[in-house]
Amino acid sequence: MEETTTLLSEEEKDILQEIMNIAFGQAAADLAEIINIYVVLNVPYIQVLRAIDMPEYLHNELAGHEVISMVEQHFWGDFKGSAYLIFPSGAGKELVSIMGEGVGESGFDSASFDGMEKETLMEVGNILIGACVGKVAELLDDRVTYSPPRVAIENFAIKSIPAEIFDLHSSAIVLKTVFNFNERDVSGFLFLVTKQDSINWLKNSLVTFMEKYE
Amino acid sequence: MTRKILIVDDSPISRKMLKSRFPKEQTYDFYEAGDGLAGFELYKEIRPDITFMDLTMPVMDGPTAIAEIRKFDPNALIIVSTADIQIKSLSLVMDLGALMVLKKPPSSESVLDALTQSEEQLRK
Repeated sequence: MEETTTLLSEEEKDILQEIMNIAFGQAAADLAEIINIYVVLNVPYIQVLRAIDMPEYLHNELAGHEVISMVEQHFWGDFKGSAYLIFPSGAGKELVSIMGEGVGESGFDSASFDGMEKETLMEVGNILIGACVGKVAELLDDRVTYSPPRVAIENFAIKSIPAEIFDLHSSAIVLKTVFNFNERDVSGFLFLVTKQDSINWLKNSLVTFMEKYE
Repeated sequence: MTRKILIVDDSPISRKMLKSRFPKEQTYDFYEAGDGLAGFELYKEIRPDITFMDLTMPVMDGPTAIAEIRKFDPNALIIVSTADIQIKSLSLVMDLGALMVLKKPPSSESVLDALTQSEEQLRK
């Protein structure tokens, strides 16, 4: 697995990292407001990879979490690509449990709980991805539209993720973050895969963004 | 009077963005640190008039650094500069004694407001 070091310069990565930091802060605040949780943010981390290397990358990064679920949402603007939110197995149940607090968890039967888990993952994905991608677009003076979120993988063995699930001609800009929901440690992993033809736009936009701060 | 400004943030881009928003008609002496521990050490050395503090940083995070600085100097003027705008994060840092929170990305107006509030505190 190799990092595509020529795609973005170190300064461009630093700028994008700060933009992602701002964007994810907004997304966490939006989520916290809606489901009354506190999201502990960690130091943002940007890495640029070939999309074809994503399965291996995920396998390494999520060591210890053999089974995952993944929410996928596509976005289009000058900035276009796909966003993926990955939760280790069990995170969905934790989220349903947190959202069920106050109404009594025993109120869900097994079938409705499974359905709610999927719905909850999609809703959390929709909020985090929408707010994060939307803020990145806003800061870079773009406007994006979104596909509906969908659970692309549910309780799937991470070592079995096929590379074809990603657009193999794309590059992946990875943002890793860790969540902590109400004292319950649940890690989440958000990454954006940008279309190759928006990379030049992104590079130019990062320069334009920083010109405001010269 | 030239004020000493300490900016503690792990992102050099973020530090640059913040500095660019200071009023140009005034001169400032800027000092920078890349994590909370380095910021605390630099604080003790230079005793800045105003400290701008990020929250999410390696080595020592912002809340810990604020607590350490306020323990060392209960009158320390600390403005939190952060992208973490969750209400619980904001109330945590205000409880630790921060003067105010500056939301990222900083604007000229928000930085001017922070400096104005700081000057009022410094005159007390």
